Amino acid sequence: MTEQWWLILGLAIGTYSIRLGGYFLGAQIPSSGAWSRALTALPGSLIAALLAVILIQGGTADWLAASIALAVAMLTRSLPLTMIAGIVAVWFLRISL
Amino acid sequence: MKTIQETRRRTPLQEFRAAISDIIPLAFGVAIYGAAFGLLAAQAGMSELQTGVMGTLVFAGSSQIVAAERLVAGAGAFAAIVAGLALNLRLLLMTASLRDEFTGRPIWQVLLGVHLTSDENWALMHATRAKGMHAGYWYLVGGGASLLLVWIVSTVLGVSFAKALPDPRAVGIDFAFTAAFIAILCNLWRGVEDFLPWAVSIGCAGALTLLTPVEPSWALAFGGVAGAAVAGIFQND
Repeated sequence: MTEQWWLILGLAIGTYSIRLGGYFLGAQIPSSGAWSRALTALPGSLIAALLAVILIQGGTADWLAASIALAVAMLTRSLPLTMIAGIVAVWFLRISL
Repeated sequence: MKTIQETRRRTPLQEFRAAISDIIPLAFGVAIYGAAFGLLAAQAGMSELQTGVMGTLVFAGSSQIVAAERLVAGAGAFAAIVAGLALNLRLLLMTASLRDEFTGRPIWQVLLGVHLTSDENWALMHATRAKGMHAGYWYLVGGGASLLLVWIVSTVLGVSFAKALPDPRAVGIDFAFTAAFIAILCNLWRGVEDFLPWAVSIGCAGALTLLTPVEPSWALAFGGVAGAAVAGIFQND
């Protein structure tokens, strides 16, 4: 089997186990208190960390395009518009800088 | 004129259909995302068949991207799987939060529902409820099924296009993911109480990436958990 098929198999089994595991975990988590607050905050916290890691690995054009994307996101609250603005900005900045 | 009470009481089919029309703007975003992933999958040596199978069975965009990116970087299948799964730990918490939707349903509906839980339709379900509309299990499944279809088609087309298109970096499409996460983060901002958790998260992930040889996927998972822990300890209900 090729490296690609191993990746697909491993990621599929692992991801489904995580999703199903959450269903079994759900009943165990208190619906209030510190655990609940941490769970509520986790998605935003995780995405913030992801952006930090991505942008550390990027250059000046990426940082400027990220600022433009942030402005568009705050003004429009639109996922597609933010994505298009970010792509166009980074394309233009990488050529220009 | 429908009253709010009538709007709230929707049949499963009505919920399913409402989700399909509500998800359209997000599906456009997912299509851009999917095409960009297809380009990356082609770079990782994946065929249209492999990309279609992966999209169907994994159905978790950001983890597929991270895993394929690791494969392109020559990290090997095992490291790529670990990196992708680290990013998917949030799915555990998302399906955990759906316990009210899954309670009392037949096992096949639970097995289907957890697989069709993704960032976009999960978030949309909460947003729709915040507007006072009824949006439960079939709303989640309707949105998820739509996104799964769009994801498979767009990622497979991305692989096909990759043969005719230049490097994704040259046309800026690699940045689509960064921009999408910025938009999602803006929507998740609840107010000043999020500042400390997010600052801790960014600080931990950034410091681990810059100062230690830790894999970026572990750095971000650690940062995310650290931020959530701060929120759990210091925020008020």
